[in-house]
Amino acid sequence: MREKRLIAVMIVCAGVAAALLFSTRPISAQNHEHEKGEPPFPLYNPYPPGILPANLESEIARVLREIDVIEERAIQRWHSLPLPTRLATRPGPNPPVLKDTGTESIETLGELMLFDKNISPGRNQACTSCHMPYAAWSGPIPSVNLTIIAYPGTVHFRAGKRTAQRHTYAPFFPVLQYNQEQGLFFGGNFWDSRATGYRLRDPDAEQAQGPPVDTQEMGFPDTACVAFRLSQAVYKPLFEVLWGKNSLDIKFPQNTEEICETPGGAAVFGGDPEPIKLTPEERTEANTVYDHWGASIDAYEQSTQVSTFTSKFDAMLKGNYTFTPDEQAGYNLFNGKGNCNSCHVDGRGTTLKPGQTDTSTTATANPPVFTCFGSANEGLPLNPRDAFYYQTTPDSFGFIGNPFGFGYRDLGMGTFLRSGFGSGPNPNRTWIQFAPMVDGQFQVATTRNVAMTPPQCPTTEAGTGKPYFQKEFFHNGYIKSLKQLVHFYNTRDTSFAKNVTSGHCPEGTIERVTCWPMKEVPNNLDTTTGMLGLTDTEENQIVAFLETLSDGFTSPYPNSDTFTGACMTCNPATDPNCSPSRQGNGELIPTPPLPPCASAICGVAPVPSPPIP
Amino acid sequence: MNKALLTLSIMILSGSLLAQESPITPRAERIQISEGPEVPLVGGYLTVIRWTVNNPGGLPVHYGVVHYGTDPKNLSQTAKNPIRLNPYHSSTVFRVNLYNLAPKTTFYYTVKSMDSRGKSDGVTSLMKTFTTQ
Repeated sequence: MREKRLIAVMIVCAGVAAALLFSTRPISAQNHEHEKGEPPFPLYNPYPPGILPANLESEIARVLREIDVIEERAIQRWHSLPLPTRLATRPGPNPPVLKDTGTESIETLGELMLFDKNISPGRNQACTSCHMPYAAWSGPIPSVNLTIIAYPGTVHFRAGKRTAQRHTYAPFFPVLQYNQEQGLFFGGNFWDSRATGYRLRDPDAEQAQGPPVDTQEMGFPDTACVAFRLSQAVYKPLFEVLWGKNSLDIKFPQNTEEICETPGGAAVFGGDPEPIKLTPEERTEANTVYDHWGASIDAYEQSTQVSTFTSKFDAMLKGNYTFTPDEQAGYNLFNGKGNCNSCHVDGRGTTLKPGQTDTSTTATANPPVFTCFGSANEGLPLNPRDAFYYQTTPDSFGFIGNPFGFGYRDLGMGTFLRSGFGSGPNPNRTWIQFAPMVDGQFQVATTRNVAMTPPQCPTTEAGTGKPYFQKEFFHNGYIKSLKQLVHFYNTRDTSFAKNVTSGHCPEGTIERVTCWPMKEVPNNLDTTTGMLGLTDTEENQIVAFLETLSDGFTSPYPNSDTFTGACMTCNPATDPNCSPSRQGNGELIPTPPLPPCASAICGVAPVPSPPIP
Repeated sequence: MNKALLTLSIMILSGSLLAQESPITPRAERIQISEGPEVPLVGGYLTVIRWTVNNPGGLPVHYGVVHYGTDPKNLSQTAKNPIRLNPYHSSTVFRVNLYNLAPKTTFYYTVKSMDSRGKSDGVTSLMKTFTTQ
């Protein structure tokens, strides 16, 4: 196997080297150095010039350094944590019953796992490579958020197709269900809800099981690699405290390390999803460890270390903060003319009329999480900067991320229900029939922390006079600022709607300001918003309200101090795109002529209705 | 009122099972179209038809439905868009988008709405017209 692999690697490397010689790409092989001096894998760069951000390598390295800082903090916390008291009521191989510090222990274990970059073939990618706390556990690299929107995985530069969702409050989503009475889906995790929770009854835990074996993310070729690497982890003793003393004692074959250091999707595996050959009993043990991986991470993400309910809004609920006039006006618009709380439900009362008194009650179980847990098609244009469209050629392992190129269409939940390309298997055959009614739908994310940025970059908005942190919004990152986000909801279905793709707005219009390119998926377009009639000032007031939803106001947000990168700045006097409205317009590129939607996506029964071009 | 709001808050917020019960909008005693239908945008690419209903209530998601065509006796085309009712609003503005209609053509249309299970809200507009540019 090794010989064949070496030959294949040599052939493809020669091709890659030749391609590099004859290209003017901004990323050079010399810059690609693993932190130990050698890159773990040959570079994969199928991208035309100008697609990848020039500082990608250094930014990935910066995030890895920050991950190490937080991992070290977590190790210190673990070492300072008194051992939980083990009750002798559950002998045998079952996980022990713990009291006293059991909760802190499992949360700390989850944190140690999230920041462990050994959970990837190249030992160069942790979950948090794409989800750092200072960005509300979403994308930590401003230049990526500005350009390719999807984060590179263990193989540089394989990348996914969607933006990194925030971890905060993800554990509050229920198990995906089709509500028979309402004829609607609720719950799940991931943009397309494919982490349903059907097996563990916990979508967030099942979500955590996705990236370690996603070919474009952390990239293990076998779920058992998680158990294998955990058996070598420095925090193995804590895992065993939580999940049983011998829970990681699995007899792995001798070639396990070789397999686990090879990225998933490699041709050498021949499509085998379980290349580590374990006995049935050991496979069961490895699967159990994998479930405990998910459960531990979920415990951390639901903890007050991550989902903290410490925003200005939370302080306002408790009477400890008074909204500014703009924030209050924005809140009224959020519940009123803006119609935002039709989906991002705030769980309180409504916009008051003159003479009325707010008699609504603060939530009893938890403060509101600003989502209806449903899904919707908001009609985003296709974003041609998405790295996914360019991964049409094999990397050195023979893996092709997207054989359809620009023939790919992101149908979101529709593709998931069809168990289609780029999604996961739908576990419920009775749901398949509903695919056409959810084509184009993506999860209604909580608006909490949509505006969270590192402390030294206090805003998401360019041109405000403050340094800003470039974020990305919606599933494909087409929207680059909160102002644009609100403006999109406000004007999407007005005369600004144009029959063009991104990068081709008519002369005299400005994309994202007075021109919205056509929807990537027009089916099932949600019209709760799109023609709101908000004024420019009202849009800004809603942005001001959204900014009150960032955690860290009543107490510092854990690990938000770890950003060591550079904030962005711009000068409106010299840069026409230095404003929240035009933010990112300097990076727009023309969408190439789109081929028809690939039959492997739009031709899978039950097909979209009407057909998607 | 307090009790209703408290119940609503608990429904929305207290755990996974109840979270699947989206907020229910009160149904108006007599459902009727209070404004429109009208055509706020007639474009070569996008045409928008809009009307307001004093709340149909019930399920959280409803569909605005437009039957349209160039022959008033045969409204052969149908377009629909979903909208999520706002439980705190006393009326619902439905909008349906029509794309790439033939230019300089008169279209006839009627509108109606239904919930996400397909149950009609029980109101249909009179036939109206618009002409594309």
